Amino acid sequence: MKVFRSHILICGGTGCQASGSLGVKNALLEEIVKRKLADEIKVVETGCNGFCALGPIMVIYPEGIIYISLKPADIPELVEEHLIKGRIVEKLLYREPGTDKAIPTMQDIPFFAHQELRVLKNRGLIDPEKIEEYIARDGYAGMAKALTEMTPEQIVQEMLDSGLRGRGGAGFPTGLKWKFAAQSKGDVKYVLCNADEGDPGAFMDRSVLEADPHAVLEGMVIAAKAIGSHSGYIYCRAEYPLAIHRLNVAISQAKEAGLLGKDILGTGFDFDLEIYQGAGAFVCGEETALMTSIEGKRGMPRPRPPFPAVAGLWQKPSILNNVETLANVGQIILRGAKWHASVGTEKSKGTKVFALTGDVNNVGLVEVPMGTTLGTIVYDIGGGIPKGKKFKAAQLGGPSGGCIPVQHLNAPVDYEKVAELGAIMGSGGLIVMNEDKCAVDMARFFMDFCQDESCGKCTPCREGTKRMLDILTGITKGKGKAGDIELLEEMAGVIKNAALCGLGQTAPNPVLSTLRYFRKEYEEHIFEHRCRATVCSAMYKSPCQHTCPIEMDIPSYIALVREGRFEDAYKILLQTNPFPSVCGRVCDHKCQTKCRRGNMDEPLAIKFLKRFITDNAPRPKTDPVAVTRKEKIAVVGAGPAGLTAARDLALRGYKVTVFEELSYAGGMLRWGIPAYRLPRNILQGEIDDITALGVEIRLNTRVGRDVSFAQLEKDFDYVYLATGAHKSQKMRVPGEDLGNVFGGVEFLRDFNDSEEKWLKGEKTLGKKVAVIGGGNSAIDAARVALRLGSDVTILYRRLRQDMPAAEEEIKAAEEEGIKIEYLVAPLKIDGAKDKVKSITCQRMKLGDFDASGRKKPVPIEGAEFTLNVDAIVAAIGQVPDMSFIDKTVGVEVNKWDCYTVGKGFKSRTTNPRYFAGGDAETGPDTVIAAIGAGHQAADDIDAAIRAANNEPAYVKPAREEILVPLVIDEETAEAPQMPMPEMHAATRKMSFAEVELGFTREDAIKEACRCLRCDAAV
Amino acid sequence: MAKLTIDDLKKIKEKVHKEMSLRDGDRRVRITVHMGTCGIASGAKEVMDTLLEEIEAAKVNDVIVTTSGCMGLCSREPLVTVEVVNQDPIKYEYVNPNKMRQIFKRHVLAGEVQTPFVLAKGSEVIK
Amino acid sequence: MKAEDTELLKEFTPEQVAKLDSIIEKYKGKAGGLIPVLEEAQVCLEYLPLPVQKKIAQGLNLPLSRVYGVVTFYSFFTMTPRGKHTIRVCLGTACYVRGGKAIAEALEKQFNIREGETTEDRMFTLESVRCLGACGLGPVVVVDEDVHGRVKPGKLKDILSQYN
Repeated sequence: MKVFRSHILICGGTGCQASGSLGVKNALLEEIVKRKLADEIKVVETGCNGFCALGPIMVIYPEGIIYISLKPADIPELVEEHLIKGRIVEKLLYREPGTDKAIPTMQDIPFFAHQELRVLKNRGLIDPEKIEEYIARDGYAGMAKALTEMTPEQIVQEMLDSGLRGRGGAGFPTGLKWKFAAQSKGDVKYVLCNADEGDPGAFMDRSVLEADPHAVLEGMVIAAKAIGSHSGYIYCRAEYPLAIHRLNVAISQAKEAGLLGKDILGTGFDFDLEIYQGAGAFVCGEETALMTSIEGKRGMPRPRPPFPAVAGLWQKPSILNNVETLANVGQIILRGAKWHASVGTEKSKGTKVFALTGDVNNVGLVEVPMGTTLGTIVYDIGGGIPKGKKFKAAQLGGPSGGCIPVQHLNAPVDYEKVAELGAIMGSGGLIVMNEDKCAVDMARFFMDFCQDESCGKCTPCREGTKRMLDILTGITKGKGKAGDIELLEEMAGVIKNAALCGLGQTAPNPVLSTLRYFRKEYEEHIFEHRCRATVCSAMYKSPCQHTCPIEMDIPSYIALVREGRFEDAYKILLQTNPFPSVCGRVCDHKCQTKCRRGNMDEPLAIKFLKRFITDNAPRPKTDPVAVTRKEKIAVVGAGPAGLTAARDLALRGYKVTVFEELSYAGGMLRWGIPAYRLPRNILQGEIDDITALGVEIRLNTRVGRDVSFAQLEKDFDYVYLATGAHKSQKMRVPGEDLGNVFGGVEFLRDFNDSEEKWLKGEKTLGKKVAVIGGGNSAIDAARVALRLGSDVTILYRRLRQDMPAAEEEIKAAEEEGIKIEYLVAPLKIDGAKDKVKSITCQRMKLGDFDASGRKKPVPIEGAEFTLNVDAIVAAIGQVPDMSFIDKTVGVEVNKWDCYTVGKGFKSRTTNPRYFAGGDAETGPDTVIAAIGAGHQAADDIDAAIRAANNEPAYVKPAREEILVPLVIDEETAEAPQMPMPEMHAATRKMSFAEVELGFTREDAIKEACRCLRCDAAV
Repeated sequence: MAKLTIDDLKKIKEKVHKEMSLRDGDRRVRITVHMGTCGIASGAKEVMDTLLEEIEAAKVNDVIVTTSGCMGLCSREPLVTVEVVNQDPIKYEYVNPNKMRQIFKRHVLAGEVQTPFVLAKGSEVIK
Repeated sequence: MKAEDTELLKEFTPEQVAKLDSIIEKYKGKAGGLIPVLEEAQVCLEYLPLPVQKKIAQGLNLPLSRVYGVVTFYSFFTMTPRGKHTIRVCLGTACYVRGGKAIAEALEKQFNIREGETTEDRMFTLESVRCLGACGLGPVVVVDEDVHGRVKPGKLKDILSQYN
């Protein structure tokens, strides 16, 4: 026995080889020889380790240190540091996404820690081309037991008792399949292994074959003994050359060692097998088609019965099991049915291997007990979704399967639950899709696959998939029509019932499944020509513009910035947005989340470029618009929704009067957002432009108090209610009504109203302030309190990544010295009537997932703590204040205290003279959504008036023609987003001056040049 | 490979399993050979070779060998640390192949600390 | 040299034809031998035009229709000559989700050929495949035997310049 002080296991699976593991291995061997370590250190090439996305991967024992993403150039340092000096090379370790913490050992990496390795127990631990290493880890011991100690009946019984079900997809009990074949009469029977893993996105079988080929051979011999067969085939797809190579090596070693062939282990039992290479037809994964293919014919399925157990390959009794199923068998025989059944759920026993791919941080192969929740697989093992995107759905079962959406993250994954949710377990391909994936396009993708792979034998599959594909393609191209969805459903039913084999019968599943969970997306495609994921490019000019709620012409103004034509760019901004300089500062920029440049490096700084334009070009002059229409319109609330509607209507010739309760117009922009984010003069400039059109704003006038609804109805023909959501939600804890406990918006409003008093210290929060909440208002309140000289702590019940506040705001708060406590929730507030003294909180931990895909915080019993505070600001959410509404007006308000929009309308309320929009209709939302609501209301009010007058619909006047140049760079070099220059944290927290300083001309043009011009029709 | 019998299968398992035990979990003794530039210059490599030979000859599989860099005590190299589970680590100084053999046989296998060569016990320096 | 080989010799070398003979010989009389013969023949001849199919049909004593039927059924077989290098773009789900479609489009544009076609200079044949099982590296492009992972359209030129 040769002793080595260290074994280095380097992954030689297909994934790692493609990432260059052979080069790394050679460099390692060279270096080891060079450093004269060849007698001390053994290098072993293993099969797939499972952590494919981070390959090439290397594990060094005895320490068990795992190194990832290696390059040959890393090797000299690694040998010098780790193997000679015994120091871990930090920079080559795995880093946890999110925290960036380096994790040195495999068992501590969550990806591995949550797995239960049974089928994959040898992965990354043995050299798959050395039979001794397999034997050393109990290999062939199950076979030895089956051949010497068990009768065929006992083997079948053991398999039945174990509860093992076919891992190829259908989940038929393996023992039962064997039992039928064992009972069939015949001197020639076949054991077949299905390694034709054609399901796109699945690579479990490839990994098993590459990492542990003997396990499959062992399972086949046991199966042979159980059914009385002496001959078998492994049908392996030709696309897996490495798997075929390893299988060939394994077979010849096993034959040489007498573990295959005649008189196995001297027991007198004969079994021989050969590999049959598939020639590329997905349908051959179907059992009867596979057998036809081995017979040398076109691989078409045949009707069942007769079942293969009676008449299979060459009409002889046959069993066909998939690779993962067979890899389970040896251990079941060796350790017993009970051991196998000890994990899993009631009807699904054992473990399941999944190929976890798609939009997930840790792509790779995972083995978990049946019944593990989808959330555990995606988040704990998979490490969640990259780039902070949202989970949309997981696709299981490939072209025969379906998707499981975010609201079912807590679902235990086993055969029954998955089927109940409309997917199938399938062979184990689990593809994670983020919010940027279109449900309709995915359905089209799978239908295209099935249509392509349909063998053509039966009409429902051949013609039906073609017709369904045509309809789906039409929908994704914006040519869908009413009735398409119903037709898809009808055809799906027919194909399911009438197709000859599994391929056809399951082909409609992806369509049915996406219809079940994402029907709204189909409708948006058909009726609104909208693809919210911005995948179906035939329906829009550019993803950014398509995503913007008011469809700002982003590519155009960015192209104009690139040309230095800032005035023209400004004109483009104003075409759709009355508040561009506001949005350039405080928009939540959904457009950037869909920017294609983000797939390459980082999205464009669209928001900052917008601000740059408004900062650097003279604002185009606004002229008054003559009143040409007789109808008068009242707008209640001078926020972004109300003012946008007022502007649009004024531009159409209406006389508009805006009623505002407070002393300044602007709504939340003036009263909620602090001046260091949005300077008052900037906002006022945009409001002034609206009054310049001829819109009248009556400040300090509360409708229902200063002006009655009766008066309003007398003076005006139509009323637009855009009253916002200006009331803080209650925390519902004792002591909430004590002195110095504020609601978030109430505090901000009071500060913005009496700024002088606060700054002079006539009003004060005190030394220590706790802010409750994780949204933008909470951060705003905290940063204002900090600027008033308080020591501020934010208390939030979830984790940082769950905070609804904008990332840049959270970061800015942290930089300014605000402390944030995560996973805490307020329990009670103590103090005197006029002044609060302390807040007691409960520590929380994360439990199951909620419908939004975030983990729910649940209390840790007994983990409470008390903070002494002088003031509390509770900013956990806002609701509209509907106390001004006169019940007799007939404008309905729903249970969330929001206006009810009439059925079939977008902004009309239950009273046809009243329209509503903005936060007061949707609940708290963004500025840009409010502007969008304002546009909608203006359109609707104008349309209602014209309809009542029997006038033709409004036609928008032609816009000034602005020629937008199209310059596209041949080569695009990776370059990150231009950072926004900011005032230093130490300086800015002393004042309310604007924190973000704006791009320079050079910055802006450079940033604009990063645009990929997705709008270009090439 | 000749045709195997059930017994052969068991034998292979035992033999190879020992060889592969390095890739498993727990161990009784951990021996660290300090291999900084200074250690190698003063003969740490020979010490390492001897140690591996000894382990091989003794057919033990509960001992792991690691290396580490310079300890900053270059003048006393080669240094070897022996850590038996649940006992203080012992640091030996001026180790050469002969001393290594003795340390392995007497300390690692028989449990007797070879006091004459000891530099430090736990964190406490003896000399 | 047999008379029926004249047609074959227009396209293939005598060595290739001899190799084809030996492949047929190896599987003659073996049940289910047709597909392995075609697989090996294609490796040797690179493509399977009708004369080759005729010869195989005669050799294995099968009707030509049966051989033709199998050749056209399986995507692995091709009846047209291929480029010196084969570029296979993976359009399996994982690669598709990660941008495989854009890669395929970029290649079609670059070579001015469609999927399944060969460039005029017979340098490259462009194909798409359904999942190579290297999903961890998507999008994946395979040129001959080399797997290139995490491919971006901008990197295609660099990758293909290695092949000439």
